Amino acid sequence: MKIFDIIIIGAGPNGLAAASYLSKLGKKVLVVEKNEEVGGLAQYADSSSSLSKKVIDQLGLKISTKKKNTFVTSLNDNLNHTVLEIDENNAVKFKECEASLEDQNNFLKLVKKYNLFSKTLSSFMFNSPPRVKSGNKSDLWQLISMGWKVRKLGKKNMRELLRIIGLNIADDLEDNLINDNLMGILCNEAILGSNLGPRSPGSILTLLYSNAINGSIFRNNNLDSKQIIDSLEQSCLDRGVEFLKSSEVKKLFINNESVTGIEMNNQNTIESSTIISTLDPKTTYLNLIGADKLDTDFTRRVSNFRSKGNVAKIKLEFKNMIKIKNLDEKYIGSKFIYAPNIKYIEHAFNNNKYNKYSTKPCLEFYIDNKNISANLYYVPYLKSGSHDKKEIESNIQLILNNFIDNNQLIKFEIDTPNEIEKKYNTSGGHWHHGDMEIDQLLMIRPFYGSAQYETPINGLYLCGAGTHPGGGITGINAINASKQLLKK
Amino acid sequence: MNKNLSYKKPLLETPFHERTSEACYNNDWYRWAGYKIAKEYSSTELEYTSMRNTAGVIDITPMHKYDIKGIEACEFVNKLVTRDISKIQPNQIMYIIWCNEDGNVIDDGTVFCLKEDHLRIMCAERNLNWFTDTATGFNVEIKDITETIAALAFQGPLSCKILNLLNVNDIENLEPFQFNNYQINNSNVLISRTGFSGDLGYEIWCDPADALNIWDSLFKFNRDYKVLPTGMNALDMVRIEAGFIQPNADFMSAEQALRPNRMRNPYELGLSWLVDLEKNYFTGKAALKKIKKKPLNKKLVGLDIEGDKPAVGSILYDRQKKEIGIVTAAMWSPTLKSNIAIGYVNKEFMKIGSTVFAEIYHPEELEYKKIWANCKVVKKQFFNPQRRYNVPADI
Repeated sequence: MKIFDIIIIGAGPNGLAAASYLSKLGKKVLVVEKNEEVGGLAQYADSSSSLSKKVIDQLGLKISTKKKNTFVTSLNDNLNHTVLEIDENNAVKFKECEASLEDQNNFLKLVKKYNLFSKTLSSFMFNSPPRVKSGNKSDLWQLISMGWKVRKLGKKNMRELLRIIGLNIADDLEDNLINDNLMGILCNEAILGSNLGPRSPGSILTLLYSNAINGSIFRNNNLDSKQIIDSLEQSCLDRGVEFLKSSEVKKLFINNESVTGIEMNNQNTIESSTIISTLDPKTTYLNLIGADKLDTDFTRRVSNFRSKGNVAKIKLEFKNMIKIKNLDEKYIGSKFIYAPNIKYIEHAFNNNKYNKYSTKPCLEFYIDNKNISANLYYVPYLKSGSHDKKEIESNIQLILNNFIDNNQLIKFEIDTPNEIEKKYNTSGGHWHHGDMEIDQLLMIRPFYGSAQYETPINGLYLCGAGTHPGGGITGINAINASKQLLKK
Repeated sequence: MNKNLSYKKPLLETPFHERTSEACYNNDWYRWAGYKIAKEYSSTELEYTSMRNTAGVIDITPMHKYDIKGIEACEFVNKLVTRDISKIQPNQIMYIIWCNEDGNVIDDGTVFCLKEDHLRIMCAERNLNWFTDTATGFNVEIKDITETIAALAFQGPLSCKILNLLNVNDIENLEPFQFNNYQINNSNVLISRTGFSGDLGYEIWCDPADALNIWDSLFKFNRDYKVLPTGMNALDMVRIEAGFIQPNADFMSAEQALRPNRMRNPYELGLSWLVDLEKNYFTGKAALKKIKKKPLNKKLVGLDIEGDKPAVGSILYDRQKKEIGIVTAAMWSPTLKSNIAIGYVNKEFMKIGSTVFAEIYHPEELEYKKIWANCKVVKKQFFNPQRRYNVPADI
C-alpha cells in the first residue's frame, strides 16, 4: 500500500489548491472526493471573480481573465429596469435608470464608500488571522497593523466605518437613497448567501466582507469558474497528486488525540498522520471525528455554529431564446437581480425565519440563450420534511412571466439546501459552510478552539469555507492552512 | 409536587415538608435548587451531636437525579467523568467529578449502576444542560427524575442499628458504595451506603408517596435512640470534619465561575485519585494531561489551627506576613476537640506538616478580637472512623 504524507478530504477549490501547493513543496498528497467530479460547491458558481491573485501566482495557474465590461441589471416591476455597467477597474456607470440624477450620484457615492471600507478590510483577508493573547510578537504586530489600517482611513472615515459596521443595510440605504430599485441592488449584494434580511444587524458587514473577498461590490464575473477548477485539477495532476474519486470518507481514526488515518465507506482504510479536511466544521467534527473524542464545550460550539443555508440553485430551460421586456438585447449577458425593494426582500426573509420558503422570493440569475441559472432565496434548509418544489416553480414563473417575452418554461430543476447538503456533505447546505457574521469571522472562524485552521486533534487541519476568510472561491483558505501545517 | 408552585409560594416543598415544617421551630429555611430545606430545626449543635452520636435525618430530595438509559450509558458517563467507570457493576456506586475542556471541575456527584444500560447520577447542582451536550453522538437518553424520587440521608453511628430494628433485612451487610432494594414499613426503598458525614450512614431513596411513612419510621425508636431531623448547618459541620468539598463553597463550579482564575482543577482540589489519564477520551483529558506536567500553584488542604476560635473566612500568611492562601470552610470540631479548617495554600506550603498563619477575626460582644494563629497543614480528612468501613456494619 502506498504511504501518503497528507490526505486531503474533498476536492473543492480549497482541496485542490492545498493539494497543488503541498505537492509543489514535495509532499505526497492524496485527494479523496465523494463525487465523480472535482470542484465541489464551486460547480454551482455562475460567476467568479474571487480567486486570489496570490493563489494564482503561487500555484502557477493559467487562468485568463475576461477583460471586458460587465453589466448588472436590476429588474423593476414597472419595467423601468436599472442597468449598471462595471468596467475592469470596478468603476460603476449608469446605463439605464429611472432614478433622479441626484439619486444616481448618491448611489455612486455610497458604492465608493463601501469600496473604500472593504479595501481596508481586504488587508485582513489574505493572511492567517492573528491569535489574540498568544504572547507571540508577530500576532501582536498583525493586530496592531489591523488597527492602523482602520486608523489610516482618517478620522471622518474611521468614524463612519465604525458607525456602520454593525448596522443593517436598509438603514444606511434609506439614509442616502430614494429609489427603491437602487436600494434593492445593494441589499441583494449584502444578504445573498447569508442568513440575514435587509434589516438584520450586521448586513453591512457581510456586504463589505464579500466586497473585500471578491474585490468588487457586484461580484462581477471576470473569471470562469469551470476554468478555475480545471486548471487547479491540472496543476494537481502535473505535480503528481493522486485522486481517489467517488469515495466517501466515513470516519477518521484517532489515537491519543492524534489523527492516524481515514476509513472509507467501502471499509478501505488509508493511514496518514496528516489530514486536511475541506468539509465544513460540523461534518468534520461531528461525523468524521465524533463527539466522543472531543470536549463537551467544544462540541457545544460546533453544534452552535450557524450553518443553515437558505439559497437554492435553480436551472430553467425555455422553449425559445429568452428576451427581457423593455431591455436592450446587448444587456442580455448581464447579471440579473430581482430584489425590487427593501420591503419585498424583508417580507421574503420573514418566511425564512419560520423555516418556510419565500412565497415571493428574490432571484439573482444569468441568461444563456434558452437557459437561466439562478440563485433563489430564501429557501431555508429543513431539519425534517421537504419544500413543495411545484409551488416554488409556479412562484418563480409568476415573477418571470412579468419580464420574459412570450416564452414557455420546459424544464425546471432545483437544488434546495437539503440537496446541496446531501450532494456535497455540507451540513445545512450553506454556501459558505457557515454564516459570515461578526462572531464567526477572522480569528474566531469557525469558532474558538478551532481557528487558525487547526483542530484539537493533532495532525488534522481544516481548510474549507468554514475557516478564515470564509466562502467565495478564494483559495486563500488552502494556502493559509498549508502554511500552518508546514509550521509543525 | 408542582401543585404548590405559585407566586405566593415561590419555593417548592419536598414530600417531607409536612414533617420538616413541623420540626423546624426556627422556620429557618435554605434555598436548594428551588426547594425549601431546613437550615436549622432547633439547634445546630444538638443536630450535629445527634448525627455524630446516634443518627440524623436530612431531607436531600433536592439532590438532582439524572437517569441515563441506553446501550451506551456507560460509555457516555465515561466520556463525562474523569474517573474510569467502565468496570462499574450493578448495585455499585462510584464517586465522580466532571471537568470542562480546560480541566476545571464543574461538579461532583455519585453514579449508581442500576443495570448495565441504566445508570443514575446524583449531584447537588443542575447539570442537565451539560449532560445532554456531552451526550451528543451517544446512544443514550438522559432524564431529570429529581421530582419522582424523595430522598433522605440517614447518617450516624446508630443508623444501621435503627434500620435493623425496622426489619430492613441484611442491611448490615451492605458494603460502602453499594446499594440495594429494601423495604421499610412495607414501603419499597432503595438504600445506598453513602453520605456526606464521613461516618456510617445511608441514603434512602423512595417514592414521594411513601415519603412520610419512611420519615416516621426512622423516628420510631426515639424513646431509646434520640434521632433528630438535621438541618443544612449541621450537615456543613460534619462534611468539614470528613474533609468533603462542596462546589461553590470550596471551589467555584467551572460552569458558574465568571472569573477564569477562580476555577479549580482536580489536582488543586486534591482529587487526583479520581483522574485516569489512561482511559478513553473524556472532556478535559487533553487539558489535564498538560496540567499534570506542570507543578501546582495552589492546593486545597486541611488546616489544624491553634486555639479554639474558628478561622471562618480567614486569610492565610507565611512567617513574613505575606499572603499565601485563604480559608474556605472552618469550624471548631466538638468531636475532635480541635480547631479545623479547609483552605487553599500556595505551592511552598502544600506539604503535610508545613506551618502557616491565619489571621482570625473573632467577634466578642460587638468587638473583634484579632488572633494570629499558628496552623499546621494536615490531610483534609479530619474525621474518619473505622465503623464507616465495617462490614457487617455495627448494629
